[in-house]
Amino acid sequence: MRRRIAAASSLAVLLASGLTACAAPRQTESGTTVHGGRVVGGKVVDGVLEYGHEQEPSCLIGGWVQQVYLMRQFLDSLVTVTADGAVKPWLATSWSQSPDGRSWTFHLKPGVRFTDGTKLDAAAVAYNFDSLLTGAGANSTAQAYLQEYYAGSRAIDATTFRLDLRKPYQPLLPVLAQGYFGIQSPAAMRRGASANCVHPVGSGAWIVRQWNRGQNVVFTRNDDYNSAPSTASHQGPAYQRSMVWKFLKDPTLRYGSLETGASDVIYDVPTVDWAAAKRSYAVQRYITPGRAVSLTLNATRAPFSDERLRRAFAYSLDRKAGVDSAFHGAYPYNGDGALSKSTPGYDPRFAGTYSYQPRLAARLLDQAGWTARDGEGYRVRDGSRLTAQVVYPAGSIVTPETVTLLQDLQSQAKEIGWDVQLVPATQSAYFAGEYSTRTSYDAMTGYWTSPTAGVMYITWRQDLANRPNSANIAFYNSRRLEGMIAVGNAAADPAQRQVAYSSAQRYISDHALAIGLYAQTTSLASAPDTKGVWIEQSQGEPVLSDAYFTGGQ
Amino acid sequence: MTTVAEHSLRARGTRTRRILGRAVSAVIVLWACATLIFFVQILMPGDRATLLLNQVSGEVRTRTAAELAPINRQYGFDQPILVQYLRYLGQLLHGDLGTSYQLARPTTEIILGQLWPTVSLMLAALLIAWVLALAVTLATAGRGRFRSATGSGIETIAAALPQYWLGILLLLVFSLALKWFPAEGDLGPRGLVLPALTLAIPIAGFLAQLMRDEFTRALSQPFVVTARTRGLRERQVRAGHVLRHSVLPAVSLSGWAVGALLSGAVIVETVYARPGIGQVLVQAAITRDIPLVSGIVLVIAATYIIANLLVDLAYVRIDPRITTS
Repeated sequence: MRRRIAAASSLAVLLASGLTACAAPRQTESGTTVHGGRVVGGKVVDGVLEYGHEQEPSCLIGGWVQQVYLMRQFLDSLVTVTADGAVKPWLATSWSQSPDGRSWTFHLKPGVRFTDGTKLDAAAVAYNFDSLLTGAGANSTAQAYLQEYYAGSRAIDATTFRLDLRKPYQPLLPVLAQGYFGIQSPAAMRRGASANCVHPVGSGAWIVRQWNRGQNVVFTRNDDYNSAPSTASHQGPAYQRSMVWKFLKDPTLRYGSLETGASDVIYDVPTVDWAAAKRSYAVQRYITPGRAVSLTLNATRAPFSDERLRRAFAYSLDRKAGVDSAFHGAYPYNGDGALSKSTPGYDPRFAGTYSYQPRLAARLLDQAGWTARDGEGYRVRDGSRLTAQVVYPAGSIVTPETVTLLQDLQSQAKEIGWDVQLVPATQSAYFAGEYSTRTSYDAMTGYWTSPTAGVMYITWRQDLANRPNSANIAFYNSRRLEGMIAVGNAAADPAQRQVAYSSAQRYISDHALAIGLYAQTTSLASAPDTKGVWIEQSQGEPVLSDAYFTGGQ
Repeated sequence: MTTVAEHSLRARGTRTRRILGRAVSAVIVLWACATLIFFVQILMPGDRATLLLNQVSGEVRTRTAAELAPINRQYGFDQPILVQYLRYLGQLLHGDLGTSYQLARPTTEIILGQLWPTVSLMLAALLIAWVLALAVTLATAGRGRFRSATGSGIETIAAALPQYWLGILLLLVFSLALKWFPAEGDLGPRGLVLPALTLAIPIAGFLAQLMRDEFTRALSQPFVVTARTRGLRERQVRAGHVLRHSVLPAVSLSGWAVGALLSGAVIVETVYARPGIGQVLVQAAITRDIPLVSGIVLVIAATYIIANLLVDLAYVRIDPRITTS
């Protein structure tokens, strides 16, 4: 027996020593991260950059902003935008619009190739637009923006591309800056959706090497990269030879990954760690333009088919207090339900329309006949309770902090007499369209990222039988509202455009069709030795090709 | 009167019948699992073709009949449910677990590719659970009221710990605060410690509770008195004699533990972002990837069956009386 115990002890020692051997730190004595690169001009380059992201999409390309984050790494777009909304050259060095506003001509950078070796010329760009908007490579978000406007594409010569529209669409340039319109290799697109989903090919700074599902996407550097946007810190290939894009969904794990040096940069810093992250790391925050995270009210069925009840509901909620508490002050409150406050063209006048006014809410409910209360304190009328089913897509669109906010709002609403029922929509049920019908909810939680106030044309265009619009989740059909936004999209004069967008925003606010909560936010935290990471300004994707290290090797 | 040869023949017949019985029950369990998982997936709310299209495009959109028709045709969703079910069973009978809708690769290939990280996690967790349970039992069982009560308390708390919470706690303490172990990204032995501990601690609580009861009972048996009168030291009595009598129920529980470890792996692999079939199962369930979900569930069921068989064999080895009876 003693021999056996001795053997077991030896095994334990062996295991422990094995663990210690494997425990060799990834850090040098000075605390800098080891990246396996070399020092050139004071920068550590040719190393491996580890980036900790959150969501993993089902496909590397597509119409979800989570796909755009990835697409930005391997695709180039025609143009890009700056923080103040100015449009800058990328693949297109210059552009012009015809006098009638229907044709746009883009002059392309010569000598650009996709990473499969084929040429990125005007014919390739034309193929992309045809495919994205009408063909096999259809991108549902690209279609939501342009399908109604798109007339056709033409390659005038190798480096001149013309985009023809049926009617003027003034927000075109910022819209094209989004990753949905990143230019893919036509040869790769012709392989079909399955291959393109896993191994898409662009002309970007990174090449998709391997997608380890559930784990990461490994990118290698495009050594021939010569088409960085004009806003990049440097032209030419990425500084690092490889980039590992990890899916770390759990917030504690993601932040822990940065703290332990397993990641150099992380996305979506947990709000509870935001204050600490600001002290220890280089943090960046991007308030996403478009539609903020809002409660959109279903205008086709009770209770919210009654405008008085929609307004009463909005007055019942102290949304600012709820947002500040749930997100620890790290996310900005966005009172407007139509647009995020960072959207070019946003009018701030309507953000405070529905401040917390419980007495006014109660009065509106009384006027609507909801005067009595049942034993649990909920308002009742004709024997039925004042109920609102609020659906939130759990795990995909809505974070745990948002759920905390919704629970807070639920208890606030109860004070006024609302029975708010929170319904978590599983990712499977949500994407399967279970909550896309007029009878499936009273209020839906969601957002829509976009660099233009023209996004309202997507979210509020009428949902008609011959022209369905799934993005109109209020199911509110108003020709007048649609007309206002359409005028804004067509107006060449910026002042006129602003007036049109403002009137649409006012209309949505006046009719209490959507209640703003907070602006969707991209936050990044980089380790102290990781520099040069920046955030793209149309959608908020991290740009990692300019990243370099300052620490040891 | 029976001869030795007759006795031997009868024994062999009994063994064959027993093996056959086990094989039949294994097939029934697998069929029931396959059927259950098929109908659960089919009856979940929402249209499967819409889900497939929307997952890939990343947008929630009502699809037109023209968009849905080719998908329904390709995957046979337009067939009556019974036809889909029979086709699915037919595939399984041919040993074909199908092709994943989302990953467009054979399910068998995906499972094999993800098996080792999960198996190594489970083995490490089972080993740690046994070591912890043995250590607590030997150190505290039958050693006075205070020590026994402490040991018993530790076991109850350990058994009651939810794995998700425990995983986050271990991560916060040993990775973020003390920096002893990596948070993620290390697939070597060092990266295995926290996930394996997360899985092992609750299981160890259950194992130790069972072991303690048996251990305390065995301590009052006459053979213990005999061993002591032979002059053996307390440690030798406990480790050499009493322990052997007290591990049987815990061995039996290990069959169940394998199942618990597999379901725990789903949580642990998600918390620690580790590769493995738990993680793939979560993704497959979210995307309603029926071939992949059913393939993994069948593998889990088969593992259960094999684990219980191994437990039976271990019984015979530990307690020779079982063979003779």
